[in-house]
Amino acid sequence: MTEQAVPIQPPRRAGQSTVPQDDAREHILVLFVNDRPGSVDRVVGVLRRRRANMQTLTIGRSELADVARVTVVVDDSEVGVEQLVEQLRKVVDVRHIVNLSTAQAVARELALIKVSSAPGSSSEIIELGHQFGAHPVDVTAETVTLEVTGSEEKVTKIVELLQPYGIREIARTGCVAMTRGAANADDSNNQS
Amino acid sequence: MTIAARISQREARTAATHMPAQSMEARELPGSHILCEALVREGVELMYGYPGGAIMPFYDALTSYPMLRHVLVRHEQAAAHAADGYARATGKVGVCVATSGPGATNLVTGLATAFMDSTPIVAITGQVARPFIGRDAFQETDVIGVTQPITKHNFLVRNIEDLADTVHEAFRLAKGGRPGPVLIDIPKDVQLGKGMYRPRASVSSLEYFRATHVAEPSPEAIARAAHLIASARYPLIMSGHGVILSDAYDELRAFAEKACIPVISTLLGLSAVPVDHPLFLGMPGMHGPAHVNRAIGMADLIIGVGLRFDDRVTGKVSEFAPHARIIHIDIDASEMHKVKPAAVPIVADAKAALSALVEAVEPGDHSAWIAEIRGWEAQEQERLARASREQAYPDPRGILDAIYAATNGDAIIVTDVGQHQMWTARFYPWKRPNSHITSGGLGTMGFALPAAMGVKMGVPDATVWVVAGDGGIQMNIQELATLKQLGLAVKVAIMNNGYLGMVRQWQQFFHNHNYSETPITGPDYPKLAEAYGLYGMRITRREDVATAVRTAMETEGTVIIDFVIEPESNVYPMVAPGSAITSMIEEPVEENAHHD
Repeated sequence: MTEQAVPIQPPRRAGQSTVPQDDAREHILVLFVNDRPGSVDRVVGVLRRRRANMQTLTIGRSELADVARVTVVVDDSEVGVEQLVEQLRKVVDVRHIVNLSTAQAVARELALIKVSSAPGSSSEIIELGHQFGAHPVDVTAETVTLEVTGSEEKVTKIVELLQPYGIREIARTGCVAMTRGAANADDSNNQS
Repeated sequence: MTIAARISQREARTAATHMPAQSMEARELPGSHILCEALVREGVELMYGYPGGAIMPFYDALTSYPMLRHVLVRHEQAAAHAADGYARATGKVGVCVATSGPGATNLVTGLATAFMDSTPIVAITGQVARPFIGRDAFQETDVIGVTQPITKHNFLVRNIEDLADTVHEAFRLAKGGRPGPVLIDIPKDVQLGKGMYRPRASVSSLEYFRATHVAEPSPEAIARAAHLIASARYPLIMSGHGVILSDAYDELRAFAEKACIPVISTLLGLSAVPVDHPLFLGMPGMHGPAHVNRAIGMADLIIGVGLRFDDRVTGKVSEFAPHARIIHIDIDASEMHKVKPAAVPIVADAKAALSALVEAVEPGDHSAWIAEIRGWEAQEQERLARASREQAYPDPRGILDAIYAATNGDAIIVTDVGQHQMWTARFYPWKRPNSHITSGGLGTMGFALPAAMGVKMGVPDATVWVVAGDGGIQMNIQELATLKQLGLAVKVAIMNNGYLGMVRQWQQFFHNHNYSETPITGPDYPKLAEAYGLYGMRITRREDVATAVRTAMETEGTVIIDFVIEPESNVYPMVAPGSAITSMIEEPVEENAHHD
């Protein structure tokens, strides 16, 4: 190894006083957390204290009975996220953390969208939904409720197209994600 | 029978009771006894606490466990600081106990202090009975929620069956890796109810650590570090609290001596290397001497061991060690690159990493670099010798010199927070390893007196001096009663300038001399000492300092000396917060005062 192999200033790091916050992007963190009272609270506490720029947070069961799967989307630089991951690792109830890049992962969210329907327009709304794979889950004289699943961009797009009809209510789950391929997210070669 | 007689009778009983071999048989016990059994198994000998409603079953059980000595403090905050002081001085886990609600919330400052400074303590709090939790019961506080950000972990024990394992896990967490505080919250009905205690089914932290090795550094990282060290021209070792926590004094010295690299030390790292060691330079940062900060400005390599590049050390980060590569050794991976990007991060125990480095480095010679820094130091000394100082008052440095002289440098010095803390850090000639105990990260006023109690009880053979300001000593002054009740000898030197001195200094420098709410009065300390059944002195003249310190040493028990120092003396040099550490406010020297 030569001396030149070790630069004076190694990785640039947003969130550090010396480096601007300009190289931020979205990261999907999947945390496998002991399913004990308060464990998710501890994770959220670290995200708050370490000033993570959190976009979505999703909590649910995993394939293991005593492990909850927490998916957090944060907007930060590569190195800022590494720092955050190390802080989250110190939470006793956190078993594993995986930082999934969007290329490696299937990322989905589900949305329920309640749209106002004038007489005659409900079939138009349902037809529009079909183009996005959305299907109606509730239809009344005044409203159509669509269920849509997909990437964040897809959900945002259908919301945009439904705006002219008058959107009454939106419920979005936030992102859940899984690695592509046969390996599990928590296989050791995937851990960040 | 007087209270003192009753207490001494109990102490005598305690001393007479040999620790019985603990039964390892499974048996049914009340939760409070299971808790005591687990504490005994953890090797706990001492705890600090204060009883109250929700923790009463534990206190009831305590009289059946005379090997668990309990000290009744006068305020729960002091219990946490005392446990902290005990832990810092002994390396063992300190234990403090409080009841629910106000008892538990009074621990908070002490837990935060231990968390910032990575000291292992276990706090046990009573909680209202399980059916009352979440119903705003009398003295109910969500102490789990309150202490979550200031503990490594905390536990609410929901079942008696989990109690013993929880205690052992708490000790394991407090001690393991980067140490820190852990809290166990135990509902009253869990303490009262009966459950099966199965000692064989659980592993104490003592057994666990006997079987587990410390975090070893990766050989690749050590090789890279050795390579950087070999090519460095202006290297510095920066030694932190981690060196003391991992008892790496010998390894640090061996490494520094073999590679011939000068050593600087953070506030909490002081006393790891004796001040008179030829390689030791001093403390960097906001109140570091000029030659140390200048050396950082010129260094091309900094080997940081067991530290976190705190802002009081770095000043403006972009101008801290601008020419240096960093080798960062710390057991906590999240410290890597947090403040200063490290060229070679080494996530490992300081002792293990340093012994690996001793093997890996070639003998070096940096005597020219060291001579250059010593030259700066001499210039600075010469300049300061010209400074005109008020001669009438006892001066802070003279007080510290007198304490050193009267104790042969073997005392443990516990400081509070403020000007006196910085003077002590700067001027006390540290000799004994781990003899400097202070609240660094949190900067907790009121820390010194209760912490000294824990230090003295942890290391009974040592002389323990408290150095405090007249502001901080008035926080937790009530612990004089505890010291008296215990018959403990803690010697207290108050540097009394009638101000909250450090804040006043900032007001002088950065707020245009606007001394807003910093003048402060205090009690008549000799009379106060007398009221507590102790001895106190007030010293106003410089020539009386040494005699007073000697008198304090010769007087039995706790002694207070109120040293009346110059009201507006400052800590020099000083780096303004957020400035480069090479830009210092230096002690003014009168230009016309020549001493050739």
